[in-house]
Amino acid sequence: MVAHTGAAARAHRLRPLNQPRPIRVETDESGEPQAVVLVREWLAVAAVQDRWRIDDEWWRQWPVSRMYFSLLLEDGRVVTVYQDLIGLRWARQAY
Amino acid sequence: MRVACVWLPHFPVAVERRNRVALNRRPVIIGETTEQRGAVLDCSTEAEGQGLRVGMPLRQALGLCPSASFLPPDLPRYGDAFDQILRALETVSPLVEPATLGCAFVGLEGLNGHYRDEMALGGALAQAVGHACSLMSSVGLAEGKFTARVAATVSAAGEVCLVPKGQEKKFLAPIDVCLLPCSRDTLRHLGLFGLRTVGDLASLPLGAAQAQFGSEGRRIWELAQGIDGEPLRPLRREESIREHLAFYAPLISREALVTAGRQLLTRLLGQPAMNGRVARRMTLRALLSDGRCWERAVVFREATADQEQMLCVLRTAIETAPLTAPIEELSIELSGFAGETGKQEGFFSGNGRQRRQVAESIRQLKARYGRSPVAQMVEVEPWSRIPERRHALIDYDP
Repeated sequence: MVAHTGAAARAHRLRPLNQPRPIRVETDESGEPQAVVLVREWLAVAAVQDRWRIDDEWWRQWPVSRMYFSLLLEDGRVVTVYQDLIGLRWARQAY
Repeated sequence: MRVACVWLPHFPVAVERRNRVALNRRPVIIGETTEQRGAVLDCSTEAEGQGLRVGMPLRQALGLCPSASFLPPDLPRYGDAFDQILRALETVSPLVEPATLGCAFVGLEGLNGHYRDEMALGGALAQAVGHACSLMSSVGLAEGKFTARVAATVSAAGEVCLVPKGQEKKFLAPIDVCLLPCSRDTLRHLGLFGLRTVGDLASLPLGAAQAQFGSEGRRIWELAQGIDGEPLRPLRREESIREHLAFYAPLISREALVTAGRQLLTRLLGQPAMNGRVARRMTLRALLSDGRCWERAVVFREATADQEQMLCVLRTAIETAPLTAPIEELSIELSGFAGETGKQEGFFSGNGRQRRQVAESIRQLKARYGRSPVAQMVEVEPWSRIPERRHALIDYDP
């Protein structure tokens, strides 16, 4: 983190970091991820290491409700994905 | 996934007995002697027969078996012996995963054509271990790591146990639940519910196991059904270089050891493997005159090829080492190599002149491209639970 230069922040110049990226996820009947696509390749989920839920901004027009999963994949990689519980879309995001 | 498990029960005891014949057929306990507060690392079957268990406090162990030969652990030696075994197994299959000391899994994919049948393949694995370290191993072959491990555990030394595909559930049914990989608390509860064998657990519906034991219940229920999707994680060997120095007369002076270490570092850093590269890790090993080993691995804060930096770390390690006997041999191993690179300075952290130069360069770039191509990270809502709200990039406009 660098010191702020003092220049006025302009909203149109702010670019959010760590934006979620859409990901294809295969789930079982209980909704638990079984496989994900990384670099156009399906990788099986070896273990669900952790899961947590975020509900925020429920007072706004577009509330945030996400179910996060920390997944250990068959090749040893660990990825964090979430399912948007409103739009039911899946995304990958470092937490 | 067809897997073999190579199992050497009571591996530390077996290694000690290989070197000292007098320990054969006598109860042996291996554990840290410092104030006798440690736990039993391993014990022989004779000691187990008198009620000893791995992990038991040493005071209790000595009380139960006062006639046992008590040995302090020599972990570097056990590690060396196990490494020899892993290397021998790698001559049979390239997919070898070390599990615990004395237990390894071997991937069998693609090996069928090389051996008459799976029994011959299991025999080749046992033979490779025998040639490498003169110890008897048992081998289990099955679909999945858990079943293979159980097959190896229930076999006698030198035997190969084959579980045909599709027969996992039947094979596991009479096995005691204590072989399931679960917590002590879960094992106790299984006992309280009268579930003595893996077959008892398999006869329950999944919902009941999961409701009682949570995610662990699901895992052990699946294992009881013969379902084991845990992948094999083969060992990835790392490149390393090593030099050693044997002393004519065992050394007791730490200063002399540091001098020997300096000589070893000079040799190591002069090797072609270090040309243009830096090392991340240094492992020191000393062979003591009583036959034991002392080992210490140090990870550098930054990868380095600088002899003085390495020597500084080495000096600290030697000065704080609990050396209990004179040293006969010292060796140093360097590993974790990376390409030698320049040191990245902070972009905005230079002195006044440097900052002015950076600002001027950015102004020129802005004039050329219309906007500043340099951005800096700023905190937006660092407390937010939503990751993308915490930080953002903002154009750097001096």
